[in-house]
Amino acid sequence: MAITSVKNLKEFSTNNDRFEGAHLLCPGCAHSMIVRELMNCTDDNLVISSNTGCLEVSTAVYPYTSWDTSWIHIGFENAATAVTGAEAMYKARKRKGTLKDPDAPVKFVAFGGDGSTYDIGFQWLSGAMERGHDFTYICLDNENYANTGGQRSSATPIGATTSTAQAGTHSYGKKEKKKDIVSIMAAHGSPYVAQLAPNKWKSMAKGFQKALETEGPCFINTVSACTTEWKFDPKDTIHVTDLATDSLMFPIYEIIEGHELNILYRPKNIISVEDYLGAQGRYKHLFKPQNRHVIEQIQKDIDDNWARLQRREEARI
Amino acid sequence: MSLQGNDNRGIRELGAEKKVGWDEVTQGVALNSFVGESENSAFLKAEERNYNDFNSYTATVASWRIIKPVYNRDICIDCQNCWIWCPDTSIISRDKQMLGIDYDHCKGCGVCVEVCPTNPKSLLMFSEAKDNNEALAGWPVKEKKVKN
Amino acid sequence: MAEKFELNEVEVWDGNYATSQALRQAQVDVVAAYPITPSTPIVENYGSYVANGFVDGEFVMVESEHAAMSGCIGAAAAGGRVATATSSQGFALMVETLYQASGMRLPIVLTVVNRALASPLNVRGDHSDMYLGRDSGWIQLDAFNSQEAYDLPLCAFKIGEDMSVRLPVMVHQDGFTTSHKAQNVYPLDNDVAYNFVGDYVPVDEMLDFTRPVTHGAQTEEDWHYEHKAKQHKALMDSRPVIDRVLAEFKELTGREYKRVETYMMEDAQIALVILGSSVETAILAAKQLREEEGLKVGIIAPRCIRPFPYDLIRDAIDNSSNLKAICCMDKSAPGGAMGMLFNEVSSAAYTTNTRPLISNYIYGLGGRDFAIDEAKRIMKEQKAHADAGHITTNIQQFSGLRGPKLGFYETRRS
Repeated sequence: MAITSVKNLKEFSTNNDRFEGAHLLCPGCAHSMIVRELMNCTDDNLVISSNTGCLEVSTAVYPYTSWDTSWIHIGFENAATAVTGAEAMYKARKRKGTLKDPDAPVKFVAFGGDGSTYDIGFQWLSGAMERGHDFTYICLDNENYANTGGQRSSATPIGATTSTAQAGTHSYGKKEKKKDIVSIMAAHGSPYVAQLAPNKWKSMAKGFQKALETEGPCFINTVSACTTEWKFDPKDTIHVTDLATDSLMFPIYEIIEGHELNILYRPKNIISVEDYLGAQGRYKHLFKPQNRHVIEQIQKDIDDNWARLQRREEARI
Repeated sequence: MSLQGNDNRGIRELGAEKKVGWDEVTQGVALNSFVGESENSAFLKAEERNYNDFNSYTATVASWRIIKPVYNRDICIDCQNCWIWCPDTSIISRDKQMLGIDYDHCKGCGVCVEVCPTNPKSLLMFSEAKDNNEALAGWPVKEKKVKN
Repeated sequence: MAEKFELNEVEVWDGNYATSQALRQAQVDVVAAYPITPSTPIVENYGSYVANGFVDGEFVMVESEHAAMSGCIGAAAAGGRVATATSSQGFALMVETLYQASGMRLPIVLTVVNRALASPLNVRGDHSDMYLGRDSGWIQLDAFNSQEAYDLPLCAFKIGEDMSVRLPVMVHQDGFTTSHKAQNVYPLDNDVAYNFVGDYVPVDEMLDFTRPVTHGAQTEEDWHYEHKAKQHKALMDSRPVIDRVLAEFKELTGREYKRVETYMMEDAQIALVILGSSVETAILAAKQLREEEGLKVGIIAPRCIRPFPYDLIRDAIDNSSNLKAICCMDKSAPGGAMGMLFNEVSSAAYTTNTRPLISNYIYGLGGRDFAIDEAKRIMKEQKAHADAGHITTNIQQFSGLRGPKLGFYETRRS
């Protein structure tokens, strides 16, 4: 596989973008930062699928496409199946000799939002992972159904207010904790699973490249800060993502072959989750006295999770 | 800038394309990114590609913008932070050098300014109406670090 | 290179086995499937061809029927021949993706072994699933026996992949009565069958990297209507292509199929319109009535459900100078309306000169037997309508149902 140099940003910037502008994503959206970086991680041809969601409705609205590579969208739930169907066709046609250029290198990639990954497309993703196709699934996790006005998903963290799990006089927002999708995917026996963030561009690029290079079904959860539904100024996307990774709300790590866990980013100064929550409108209500216990709960969960990840890294089991 | 040579970047407002009849829409809603056959675009700079009208590269979202980034070449260190984090593929960078802003595709989010590490910044946001030369003429000077 | 599968000149195959052999001979590139009664053996048989080296393509066993069709769509967009099989609940689960396959103009072949839809759960054959697919934009062909369950899939690939069509095609057969009934089948030689179907020619394929293509774009109110109209035109215009392919198949095999099959219609006074494995029952009943009572009964059996053959139904009615009454037999719970065949045939009949009386029977739901005697009773009832000059019963009635007589709607006579 032709991977591109990620030695430094200057080298990396010599790649020719294959994701075009004049898409309809919100100003400051992290989705396109992640997609651009993925597409710049390799010079191979790409066959990409997308579930219905922000990325899909913003990059292929007739008569325009923002994709310079092959791309397909079918429905909300089946990007993993669409791209693995194409991967099966690639294998069949390669065997039969009916490909136009049988030597052209190609990678198969599926994108889904958290709604289509954690919720409605969960079964399709699980099935594709179990079948062992050679593809990489990337979840653009912005922790809500942002495309339809910000409803709760099973990726929405406890305490966030969404349009269907609202904060009010009798509610502090979502009551349930976020689903641990990374562990679930690692439990599928996937050869490479990771959680990555676009502010740490180099670890994200290296993770993408590992996933693309690794034969078999790989899964990556990426934090995609959502200016519209997290409620912060569009210019602050990278700043808010920094707060997410430095508070360890989003730890950056990989799991190889289901057990070998490597932490890929250790903040020099771990910041309080209050700094992260306070930068976003969706958590504003938590700073009221009656809701402070939720912040304490979130901090405790983060601390426990970080301790658990470090133990797993050490134990290698 | 030679990038403007024979390029069809941003020539149409979204929605301004010709609305053809049922007999002329593409079969199965398929959209080709380029005209005819093309080399893998990973090996072609934007200005070397034969973009199809269906490619959003040929459309513009400039009208979304109320503020715009202005780029000051004199201060830039070509770190490429603005390039990696631009959500709209609107930082024109060639051979490790930052060349400027693609105003046809920039939506004015301001991420590039926030991630610019120079002092003073090499990118600053101005009103869309502000003349770029005027903005450059009044560029702020280096800020002294304040010790706490 | 696949192993050669030896075939006899005549085989004893059930409908499922016949269909699976057609898929093997068409050298399908990707079969993505999920098993469901009564179509499971299609997938199992195909799996045995894969396991024993008779198939060069990929066989992907997915986790649901929705995923089966999703995988088929992804595979078809990647530029190769694709097929799958399903029934009933699986078909219902697929419905979302059926519309996507046709809207994306991907010539997938779906072999459907017709079965009732729950609730109540039922594994037996009726036409609920076939009817559920009728607005999905697919071409729908109906096989009445095992031979046709072998012949029609071969034709289906050739029809759907035709450059002027490029639409997905369903080939239906009745659950159990066709799918599990062993009959004599005359297969084609492997090469003859493949050459009839021909090599797959890709259109806008995702694996031609010199022409990157976006599939499945969104269209809103300024584009959606034109795309759907174009798609509908392709479906309506597939009729001459279907006719041509069926004619080519007749030339090759001597077996003649038409978009509407008619039996004994030339002098018929009354006619039954019926689908699937019941057609052969109806023909026997008609023959017996002609012999026993001199009652001139004919049978109209649409082989093509979509695009609906309004033209040929109209011709069948107009060409029968004595036709007075038609009964449309619908093997699907009608859900608050007349049955599908009643509605479609009435539309076609309205444009004829004779405008015969038309009534509707619901029958055979959940695999309830449809016997010759009941067919004859219904035919004689049509004679009574014809003699009276109006429909003497409810227009919609239920055949073979226990309990008090059930019927709805009647002719207004002042």
